[in-house]
Amino acid sequence: MLELIREGVPLFFSAQALLLTSLGVAAGLVIGVLPGLGPLMGIVLMLPVAFHLPPVPAMGMLIAIYIGGSAGGSISAILLRIPGTPLAAATLFDGYPMAQKGRAQDAVGLAVSASAIGGLIGGLILLFFSPILADFALRFAPPEYAAMAILGLLTISLVSEGSPLKGMLSGGLGLVLAMVGTDEFTNAYRFTFGNFNLSSGPHLVAVVVGLFALSEVVFQIEGGGFLKRPSIDRLGISLKGLRLILSHKLNLLRSALIGTFFGAIPGAGGDVSAFISYATAKRLAREEEGYGDGAPGGVVATEAANNGTCGGALIPSLSLGIPGDASTAVLLGALFLLGFFPGPDLFQNTPEIAGGIFLAYLTSNVVLLVLGLLLAPFFGSVLRIPKAWLLPIVLLLSTLGTYALQNSVFDLWVMLVFGVVGYVLRRASYPLAPIIIGMILGPVLENNFRRALLLSRDGLSIFIERPISATILAVDALLLIAIVISTIRRSISPRASASDPV
Amino acid sequence: MRNLQTYAFDWIAWMLFAAIPVAIFWQSATSLAEQGVASGGPMRNAAIYPKAVAVIMIGLLVLNGLRVALARVAEPSPPTWDEGTGKAVLTTGLFIAYLVALPFIGFHIASPVISAVLFVLLGIRPLVAVAGGVALSLSVAFVFEGLLNVVLPVGIFGISLFS
Repeated sequence: MLELIREGVPLFFSAQALLLTSLGVAAGLVIGVLPGLGPLMGIVLMLPVAFHLPPVPAMGMLIAIYIGGSAGGSISAILLRIPGTPLAAATLFDGYPMAQKGRAQDAVGLAVSASAIGGLIGGLILLFFSPILADFALRFAPPEYAAMAILGLLTISLVSEGSPLKGMLSGGLGLVLAMVGTDEFTNAYRFTFGNFNLSSGPHLVAVVVGLFALSEVVFQIEGGGFLKRPSIDRLGISLKGLRLILSHKLNLLRSALIGTFFGAIPGAGGDVSAFISYATAKRLAREEEGYGDGAPGGVVATEAANNGTCGGALIPSLSLGIPGDASTAVLLGALFLLGFFPGPDLFQNTPEIAGGIFLAYLTSNVVLLVLGLLLAPFFGSVLRIPKAWLLPIVLLLSTLGTYALQNSVFDLWVMLVFGVVGYVLRRASYPLAPIIIGMILGPVLENNFRRALLLSRDGLSIFIERPISATILAVDALLLIAIVISTIRRSISPRASASDPV
Repeated sequence: MRNLQTYAFDWIAWMLFAAIPVAIFWQSATSLAEQGVASGGPMRNAAIYPKAVAVIMIGLLVLNGLRVALARVAEPSPPTWDEGTGKAVLTTGLFIAYLVALPFIGFHIASPVISAVLFVLLGIRPLVAVAGGVALSLSVAFVFEGLLNVVLPVGIFGISLFS
């Protein structure tokens, strides 16, 4: 564990990496504060910039946006009763009532401090467990990797918001998109329809930007209210939040652990962990603490959990290559495109990159604490920026960022097509995250599936002859049964399980 | 007919997904067969895995089609016309025009124009919108062209400001 950190120090402690990590946290906070955007959008918008940077500063910047964005959503939840991101939905239960009672400054201070400390606790667990899990994964051969890829797809389908059946279809679309281009084994062109631009497949980033950023711009324009400026309490710089949090030590630790645990389960995500953590804190609290009526403990519980989730989500992502949520799926995509493969290889062959990523994660949380408290007065101003200014900026950044990937106008058309696809799928309540996870896990699944068949003397039996592969496939089968039961239940009483997609 | 309208977006999405297995089997029988990679062992058969995914997707599509046809999905998805739908359609149209024009007139002409038009469309006063469009376009160009050395589309006028 310390060896990894030692390896990462020279790469991470450079002026460029530190500056980009700090800028990433600040950008993440701003984008998280703005309702409708969030850490995923921040990562998506800055992904093209990352490709022009060395690997550790690039990953540092993206991880910092992930951390900052996950915390930023709480600020609009507290000040406006509108969570900046779904992760902060539970924060408004007590954050907004605190603001209504004239304690907005305390609530924001508590949210930022709890996020940073929760994130640090998640980071320490990440640092401890990732190498162990990666070490275990050294025993994996093609059948195990194929079974793990199926596990990743099934879990994201099961726990994504909306119907698991629709989640599986979205995952299937991702798998198919990953097939487009040149087949690795035969060098044949697959599903390119004679278009040479598709010989390497659609670019992952163009697909991500289209699905998430472009469809979001259209949704926001449909929503109207372009010139609305909310009235917001003025915030100052105060360290009181940091002092206040000391009286919630146990709640903080417990919530961060809950967040990390749920983060490590692929697909569970920060919003689930925040609600569970809030419910646990409320159940264990004394009645006079007034949960739901402006209890500081409620803000601590949700924010420590949703940032703890970030560390947890990176555990399976880095050690097994199985993303924990949509944001980590895009982070994994960035790592792939920078030329590094998550899993045991990352720890064995390039420990300096793994160490640099860990350091970036830990440092981002420290920077979050400092910037979150210092920039508090600035957040109110950000929230007053009308949508009429923001949406064209997001559109132009998406366009230029996507173009810059390969200096290709074709990528912009890919982005547009997936913007339309993303819009249609969101209107039909399909989750989008499984598409990205399918695109990332697709090559892992296909290559290992075909390699396993080659190794096998008896067709598919290789998958059940090997104990680890058989165990993972048994878990896959259980998840499939859970999906079938959930689908039947939702079909019997569909209204009861209504929810919005990602 | 009423079901089609109530679940309009579900049906559009269903057709989108249904096109995938069709394309996979069609390409396997044509393009992949012509390249000689649609049969044989796992390393020589580039169609084996796509076909397996297509079969699974057909199963899922049948199930989901039944759910939508029997109105057993959680949320209806009818076409709606909200406050900003007209503007959203117009923005999409403008963006398509921008993508068509970009290689011909270049980034430094196309981008300030589309940004300013969008600002006006969303309610910003014209003069402020033009200034905002130019400022936005110049600042992102400075970052990408000047700092990241990206070659932006120069168009027939060959305009490049920061490289």
